[in-house]
Amino acid sequence: MIAKKSRLSIREIFGHYKLQTAITGILVVLWIIFTLINPKAFGNPYLYRSMLTIIPFTLIPAITLTLIIISGEIDLSFSSVMAVGALVMALTWKALGPNFLVLGIILGLLAGLVAGLLNGVLITKIGIPSLIATIGTMFFWRGVVLVVTNGFSIPLAEFRGYPVYQLFVGRLGGVIPAQFIWAIVLVILFWVILNRHVFGACIYYIGDNRLAAKMLGINTDRTLIILFMIHGMVAAFAGMLPTMEMATFWPQLGDIYMLKSIAAVVVGGTPITGGIGTIYGTVIGAIMLEFIETGVIAAGATGFWIRLIHGLVIIVALSVQGILRKEEILRALESRLSLR
Amino acid sequence: MPQEVIVKLKNITKRFGRVVALHKVNFHVERKEIVGLVGDNGAGKSTLVKIIFGVHAPNEGEIIVKGMRFRRLTPKKAYELGIVLVHQERTLCPNHPIWRNVFIGREITKKFGFLDIDKMKALAEKALKELGLTKMPVETPVKFLSGGYQQGVQISRAILFEADLVLLDEPTSMLSISEVGKVLEYVRELKNRGKSAVFISHNIYHVYPVADRFVVLDRGKVVAQFYKEDLTVDEVSHIMQAIARTGSLPPEYKKYSAS
Repeated sequence: MIAKKSRLSIREIFGHYKLQTAITGILVVLWIIFTLINPKAFGNPYLYRSMLTIIPFTLIPAITLTLIIISGEIDLSFSSVMAVGALVMALTWKALGPNFLVLGIILGLLAGLVAGLLNGVLITKIGIPSLIATIGTMFFWRGVVLVVTNGFSIPLAEFRGYPVYQLFVGRLGGVIPAQFIWAIVLVILFWVILNRHVFGACIYYIGDNRLAAKMLGINTDRTLIILFMIHGMVAAFAGMLPTMEMATFWPQLGDIYMLKSIAAVVVGGTPITGGIGTIYGTVIGAIMLEFIETGVIAAGATGFWIRLIHGLVIIVALSVQGILRKEEILRALESRLSLR
Repeated sequence: MPQEVIVKLKNITKRFGRVVALHKVNFHVERKEIVGLVGDNGAGKSTLVKIIFGVHAPNEGEIIVKGMRFRRLTPKKAYELGIVLVHQERTLCPNHPIWRNVFIGREITKKFGFLDIDKMKALAEKALKELGLTKMPVETPVKFLSGGYQQGVQISRAILFEADLVLLDEPTSMLSISEVGKVLEYVRELKNRGKSAVFISHNIYHVYPVADRFVVLDRGKVVAQFYKEDLTVDEVSHIMQAIARTGSLPPEYKKYSAS
């Protein structure tokens, strides 16, 4: 019986990390293929530095989006919330000048918090499915941005030299982009919350069996509202970073990150059905998507190939996951029968 | 001899829209007593335990738990009062390990809400061991467990949290014959530990071996009440079938009528 016990736990551990191993494997394979095609570009550290600059823009909103998807919900509005947060920051800076950079950032984060609160209330208290509710708020917030800016960009180059600015998008030691450090900090923070904190446990239970979570006294509505508020705030923060990096606010900000961030989460092995998922997977997913974008261009293909290969990778990654999950279902059945 | 009453429901009425699920129901559970709550589908058995557990609020009546009066309870409050629900729709998260499932909604935390994982694992292991559930390590996701084992995980919460009352809502309805036997053993184990239980089933042959007293519900009303010594299992089965057919107690058993 002891032998059986230990065999099963090894299988369990292997099963637990199998998915992560698989996606990491796909990333390594991609890297080898790209390096073989263009050894010069992929041997050049500058390529990796430029990836570190842009990965955080996809990765940061994808971190809290992972938590949302684990909870069994979805958010499509965060791309617009990214623009709202950045817009509030840009307008505050323009109106009050360089002494109020921090205030602009705080107000931008608050705007994200409010947008998240609205999503949370629509979904839990009014009962609109999150897919529909956040399509509504996605259009609404994008509309707000367009109406306020009249569709024009806001140049912010004059703020570039200030220390606060450098804190967010400067280069650490002249090399490592500050936004990458922020991304690492947020990854660690939310990994800890998800895996070691009672709030993260509630998110998992709500996604896995919401009725059970409710029956056992978890305040599911409150947990989801807080989660959407945090996500709104992180999205607003994620919108500020490219705005500062480009030293311009532009009204379409965030649009390209929406599907990329969602793709990063699902490629990373978090199923859209909720209940399970990892932040590690999302990190690998975000790296993989940016990697393809950089790789395709460095390999000498035109930008038109990017979408095609993105699509291909999503299909392959999800097929691998589908096969692994099917195996797991069979294993669960086998184990249950053998226990009788 | 008078026993301590753990839970008492007084004149509970519950309506869902125009449907009356429970009508002026009186019900109580004493310490160390296992009450078999039986009746046909739709009799109101689940609604009754959900009111005790605070999932539903009654429209009329009051709930008295250990001498304290309540208009309604919430699951959190019920949990705090020492009531545990083992539910037919399974209060488990299938993708999560046993130890996490034991503690859902009652996580042990260190400072600032951080989980005390080691302590939870150790306590879960201990509680499961007391029910004889040692076959699977506590890291196993519950979807790998058989139905009886899953019920055992839910029942272990009662041992762990020193619950006084365990509400078992159809715990055997989806199990194989050998697993039913195991769940009945868990229930006996609860009784040995001085805990009370309400055992819901529409299968009298599952409840009869473990219950002390029986309450028969039909269409939202308590129609009969008797102790195990009063009747054999076949007589109870006969009464239940008659009630399901006619809506009333057969005349020869009138002395067990609730009213």
